Amino acid sequence: MQVFTSVIVLGLFFAVFITTDLKEYKKRKEESVSSLAHIIGANSISSLQFQDNDAATGNLADLRKIAPDISNAIITDKTGNIFASYSKLPTTRTDSFLLNTKATTFSGKQFFSVTDIINDREFLGKVMLEVELTEFQQIKKQRFALATLLLLASLGFSFLLAILVQQYLSKRLLHLVNRMKEVGKTGDYTPVKDEGKDEIGLLVQAYNKLMNEVKENQHKKDEFIGIASHELKTPLTSIKGYLDLLNMMEDGQPHKLYVRKSLDSAHKLERLIQDLLDVSKIQSGQLQLNIQQFNIEEMITETISAFQMVSPTHTIVKESTLNGQLAFADKQRIEQVLINLLSNAIKYSPGENKVIVYATQQHGEFLIKVRDYGLGIPEEEKTEIFERFYRTKDASVHISGFGLGLYICRDIINRHNGKIWVEREDKGSSFYFSLPLHPKGNAVATGQ
Amino acid sequence: MVLLGGLIPAMAQTREQEADLKAVFIYNFTRYVEWNVNQNESEFIIGIVGNSAIDKPISQIAKTNTVNSKRIIIKHFSRPEDISYCHILFIPSGRAVDTKTILDNVDKGTLTIGDGADMARNGACLNFVLSNDKLKFEANLNALAIAGLKASSQLLKLAIIVN
Repeated sequence: MQVFTSVIVLGLFFAVFITTDLKEYKKRKEESVSSLAHIIGANSISSLQFQDNDAATGNLADLRKIAPDISNAIITDKTGNIFASYSKLPTTRTDSFLLNTKATTFSGKQFFSVTDIINDREFLGKVMLEVELTEFQQIKKQRFALATLLLLASLGFSFLLAILVQQYLSKRLLHLVNRMKEVGKTGDYTPVKDEGKDEIGLLVQAYNKLMNEVKENQHKKDEFIGIASHELKTPLTSIKGYLDLLNMMEDGQPHKLYVRKSLDSAHKLERLIQDLLDVSKIQSGQLQLNIQQFNIEEMITETISAFQMVSPTHTIVKESTLNGQLAFADKQRIEQVLINLLSNAIKYSPGENKVIVYATQQHGEFLIKVRDYGLGIPEEEKTEIFERFYRTKDASVHISGFGLGLYICRDIINRHNGKIWVEREDKGSSFYFSLPLHPKGNAVATGQ
Repeated sequence: MVLLGGLIPAMAQTREQEADLKAVFIYNFTRYVEWNVNQNESEFIIGIVGNSAIDKPISQIAKTNTVNSKRIIIKHFSRPEDISYCHILFIPSGRAVDTKTILDNVDKGTLTIGDGADMARNGACLNFVLSNDKLKFEANLNALAIAGLKASSQLLKLAIIVN
């Protein structure tokens, strides 16, 4: 933008300069031609007085050598008749020439100069000169060409300068921006380095300070998670422990039933706390994966049977085309995903119902599908259900839970470089997730 | 009617027009010749030997013009002996007496102007001639020098130089 303004200003300056220059040239030309006319007039006085046309014509003929840019010259006598004439080219246009009565007339390619011949206050005749302006035109073109050249050169130069300066500034800003992006991904709060003393330097400083605060807050939060986790879990473990004991000890009803129900709630509470903590870890980028090799079909079978035990109302079936292939993943977390999906499938298909788990392998990845025949998911909620705290808007059924399950599943699957999504069915829904056969070293992992 | 500057084209003249033109020329000669001697003359004298067709036009010019602010007077001389000082002496053609005799009687400082063939060669400072039907004049530089007159180059460039 600034480049353009300065170029425009420069252009204006050039225009003014050139115009003035050309005007000056015109003026000087006029004056010189005028002088010439005067001299010719003076020299022609005697010729006019003695009516010697030949002498006057001879006088004019000298113009061919001394003033090559004069194309026509005429001396008229007192009555306005042509006394002598000169023409550079064979073609003469003296008629139109004579019409010019003004002292100087500019007319595009030539200009006319008319001077009176006066001697002793007696008017003897006129000298008319027609001057070609080709030289003028040439100079004009030259000047404009030069100006354009200079303008373009300065434009180029300014651009170059601007680019260099901008690069210097942009480099620093982009560095900052990139670091900011990185922080979002990796949670690495190392300060950005910038030696500049200008506004960008200030920006970087402020940013670093801010990030430092964030880092400290993060530490506090992590501490809190650690503490909370421990503090919440400890009494819960105690509760579970005693309930387990009671479970084993009690055989009579309704005692056993009461114990069972308490245990269920305790387990639920444990899961909820675990989910919260997981989400917290995901938020601060701290969810770690423990990659190992395991038989995915076996895992599915185990999970289903464990679930089946606590879900008497539903029938969970496995349909698998797998052949003992091994998966490279965090077994516990994948199990968690499957459990979540099964839990949802049962929750959202009340009454007696069927749930099918399909497992195949195609296109270099494992594909697991959990099919339920329940309420189904409305089309517009297909992506939102994977967001934090999202509960389906269908108010007809009260579903328990924080709405965190699918959010955690998505994070886990994404970290494995897989995909998770839902498809509507006529009755109910199908939740899919994929897992690459080989991790390709991209999954964020620790251990192993 | 004689008009200065030449409204009358020099081509195709009648004798009257020719005389008018000669009168004009004679007057114009005064602008280009310097008379250093005889400055004490209060008038500018143009003398004519005998009668001439230019009498009328030159008198006309004398009435309305001056030379260097001096009044012009015309003098006529019938015989060479009668010639007194004049700035310009016009010697028309067709006379009985020959040029030489006349010139012997002319003082220094007189611009002698002839009007016939060979008169310049015979000693007149200037001489009218017709060239292609146009009125021109010859100039004898020696005669001018002897007469002590200075003629401007502007005049001489138009003259046919004769010595």
